[in-house]
Formats: sequence, structure tokens, C-alpha cells
Amino acid sequence: MTSSAARAPDRPSPPPPLNVTSLSFWGQTADEREDTFRLLRADAPVSWQPPMEGALMPPQQEGLWVVTRHEHVLEASRRPEVYCSSQGWQFEEVPEDILEAASSIIGMDNPRHQKLRRLVSSAFTPRQVTRLIEQIQHQARQVVDRLLDAKCGDFVDLVAKPLPMWTVNELMGLDDNLREEATALADGMVSYNDPAVAAGREAGQVLNDSLVGLLTLGLDLAAHRRRHPAADLMTNLVQAEVDGQKLTDEEIASFFVLLTVAGNDTSRNATSHAVRALQDHPDQRRTLTQDFPGRIDAAVEEILRWSSPVMTVRRTATRDTTLGGQHIRAGDWVALMYPSANRDERVFTHPERFDLTRTPNPHVSFGGGGPHYCLGAFIARAQLRAILNELLHRAPTLEVDTPEYLVSNFVHGIKHMPCHIT
Amino acid sequence: MGFASSDEVVTYIGGIFKDAFADPEIGPKLTATGQVFRFVFTDPEATVCVDAPTQSVGDGTGQPPPAATMRMAAEVGNAYWQGKVNLPMAMAKGQITVQGNVASLLKLAPLGKRLFPVYIARLHDTGRADLLL
Repeated sequence: MTSSAARAPDRPSPPPPLNVTSLSFWGQTADEREDTFRLLRADAPVSWQPPMEGALMPPQQEGLWVVTRHEHVLEASRRPEVYCSSQGWQFEEVPEDILEAASSIIGMDNPRHQKLRRLVSSAFTPRQVTRLIEQIQHQARQVVDRLLDAKCGDFVDLVAKPLPMWTVNELMGLDDNLREEATALADGMVSYNDPAVAAGREAGQVLNDSLVGLLTLGLDLAAHRRRHPAADLMTNLVQAEVDGQKLTDEEIASFFVLLTVAGNDTSRNATSHAVRALQDHPDQRRTLTQDFPGRIDAAVEEILRWSSPVMTVRRTATRDTTLGGQHIRAGDWVALMYPSANRDERVFTHPERFDLTRTPNPHVSFGGGGPHYCLGAFIARAQLRAILNELLHRAPTLEVDTPEYLVSNFVHGIKHMPCHIT
Repeated sequence: MGFASSDEVVTYIGGIFKDAFADPEIGPKLTATGQVFRFVFTDPEATVCVDAPTQSVGDGTGQPPPAATMRMAAEVGNAYWQGKVNLPMAMAKGQITVQGNVASLLKLAPLGKRLFPVYIARLHDTGRADLLL
């Protein structure tokens, strides 16, 4: 029970149909969810709702604020001193041990957050970024080579999954023979609420098994890189000092978990959504292919807005404040709905249209700005540019079938999507 | 300094749950979990079995089979109940193994956190501040 529970009567709750904290809401399609978000943006842009229904632990919160308008997502993202990350960042209540072991910098505030984040960002010098982008282009070519050989199969397995898997594991320095395992474990970290993925196991079991597996890989790799340094992020982490101290094994393993999960699922799902959207909107596809070099950058931004690969994050108010006219109290949870902000009609003209020439395109798919803006945004953009370049030019007759969506309140995932080349 | 004997492990770790059942706020919540948990310690060897529905703490003899069994060195157990051990991290390091339903242990997490001060107070009150971390 929170101390603020007794003050609940002055919190405006939307009527039940506008509730976004049930598992069934997140089992709907993105279009169905948008029907609710649209009403919330109009009538209750910052609304007090019951705690997110979850299977990991009994709710400890009385409720939480749900933020649906673009301007309020930006405001909460850009005031980290008021809306902090160090008291959890997931929409759903997660056992503290899990949160601590899996979060790393995404669950920290400055100054510690900034110092650890710099360990990764400083590795991306202009020369290394150029090299990385060339490698991504090379990998994208190889991925599409394999698609052309296979001619049909699951698009996710054949195309969407391999490129981000290669990039993140190459950056970390994980051996080739462990990459499939790391990716499967990263999948478990975001798919524990999907009954089909859980296959009879409890959500907590799926999550914990995945986390322990990834932590083990991270600890092993850290030990290996201490003995055998190489040109990779793990070597940077084991050699780094922050405030005169080396990072602990626990900090390094958590960093490994965060980067592996963040690097795998987001770009994969954006790629699958992109290909589906281009097929569903042949006019847009033609627009892009008519001038690929001139239009791909804007197209990537629209794909990111359209797909919202990460759907929610949560902050905790550090003090009493006001958001969207609502009185937020210290300790209140504040959940940001990225797909809703990305369809906010106050910011985007005809937000329901997939428009690859849309500019400006201030989507929040990498976050609403502030210190937690996605560290890998440039990698995700490079991956999308590279894979779409290969697919549109070398596999123009590719067709995808109905996607099988992941049930999740966190990532907008496509588990499987049959494809074939005619 | 660590635990001197198996009896001491049972007294202190088992005592956490006896205190918890007696607590007017924590006790009913622990009982309501409806679960049986077993802790198996080494160095020194000891077993603590907590049967929440009957509010009994024993060594497993005559108690129902547990939903989950946690195995660890007594030293790790001492640190765990002071809130100094992260369960998934300790599992990754091989310091704690869990047999059975780990999800049931995770659901206990909010209650477990409230037991840490109970254990620390017991160490203080019984002159075992040497076990404090």
C-alpha cells in the first residue's frame, strides 16, 4: 500500500473502457489500442488507473498515472529530477531483485547514469561509427543473400532477427557460438507475458530463467575479457573506472543484460513492422523506391513512429508536481505511452497515415528526449536503412503474410511472419 | 564469524519466519501465499522448511513437499536475509540454486523485503551483531 492511497478520491479515473492496465488491452492489436489512446488523449490525457495487471508479483501500488499526449511524454522525459528512473522503469510491477539485476543504466539517475552511459557512448567515435555502419551494411547483404537462397520461411527468423543479433553481439564481443543463446534469452526477457511463449511456465519462471542465463553469459564474458582483452564493449567495461573504482561483476553483468535485450528486440521488430507496412501501403513503397537515397532517412523516422517498437516506460515522481493539469504526488508512478504520443493529432497531421515523406517527425520511439534517450538510436537507424536497401532492391517480390504479434505491455513485437519470394 | 552450528542456523533463519508469522501485518500475508518453501544450507548443514498455510517452521520432517527449495551456504543465507544478496545474480554466480517453482519465490519478494529488518533486529537483540553485514 502506498501512503498516497488514502488521497485517491481526488484522482480522476477514466471510465473502465479506457483502462489500459489490463493484460487483455495489451493482447489487442495496435489499431485497437489506438482507439482507446485517442479517447484518452482527448478526454483524460493524464489519467489515474489501476496498477498494470501482471503475473510476476502482487501489486504493491494502488494505481498509476497513464500519460498519452506527446507534450506530456516529452515533459516527463525531460525532467528527470522530477520523474526519476532509479525507482523502476517498467510499467508492470517487477520484483526488486529482477529489476536491479536487469536494469543497469536504464534504472539509474544522474550522475551515476551519465558516467556509466559514457562508457558505452565513448566507444562510438566517428571512425568506429563509420566502421560499424559498413559492417551493418555488409551483414544486411549477407542476411538478404540467405533470404534469396531460402525463398520462403519466417521473415523474423530469416531477416529481422539476424542483423540486430549480429550487431549487438559483435559490439559486446560475444563468441559466435553463444549468440543464438543470448538472443533467445533476451527474447524471454520481454515475452514472459505471452502465454504461447511461456508454454505452461509461470511468467516469473520465464523471466528469471532468461535473466539468470544472460547474467551468466555476461559474467563469463567479463571474466574472459579480463584475461583476453579485445576491441569490444565488454573489454571497455572491465577496464573502465568510474569515480576511481572499477565496475563490479554485478554492474557489468547487468549492463550486458540491458544492451543485449535493447539491441536485439527493438530493431528486429521495427524491421518486421517496416516490411509489413511497406506491403500494406504500396504507394508509399513506390515513393521510397523512386528515390531511395533521398527519402530513406525520412522513411526510417516514419517507420519508427508507425511501429513504436518500445511501447511503455515508467517514471516515479520525486516530488509533488503537476502534469497535464493533474496533481502528481511524490512517489506516484507515471507511465508514458509511446504509441499514443506517436499518434497525437496535436503534433502529427493525419497521424493515422503512413507517410514516408513526413517532416518534421518528432516521434518518441527512442524516448521523449532527456538523459535516457536511446543510446543505440544511430545503430537502429543504420540497421533499418541497410536492411531496407537490400530488401527493396534485391528482393522486390518479397511478400509477407499475417504477422503473429507478441502479447506484451513493453515491446511491440512480431513473433513470426511467414514470407516468400515469388 | 559465521553460524557456529546447525542449530544456530535454524534458530536465526527459522526464527525470521516465526517472527513473521507473529507479526500482525506480515503474518497474514505470508500465510495467504499458501506455499511451502525449503531452505537447505551448507557450512554448517541445516534445513529450514516453512509451511505458510499452517504457519509452521521445521526441518521438513512431516511437512508437505515444498513449491521451491533454495540451496546456499549458511553465510549466503545470512547475507540474503539482510537484503545483501540479489537472487538472480546469486543464481548466475552459482551461490544459490533453486529447485522447483522460482516464480513462487519472486512473488514473495515484497514480503521478503519486509523480513530483512526483522532478521537484522533479531541479530542485534540476541547479541549476534558480528553477523551483521
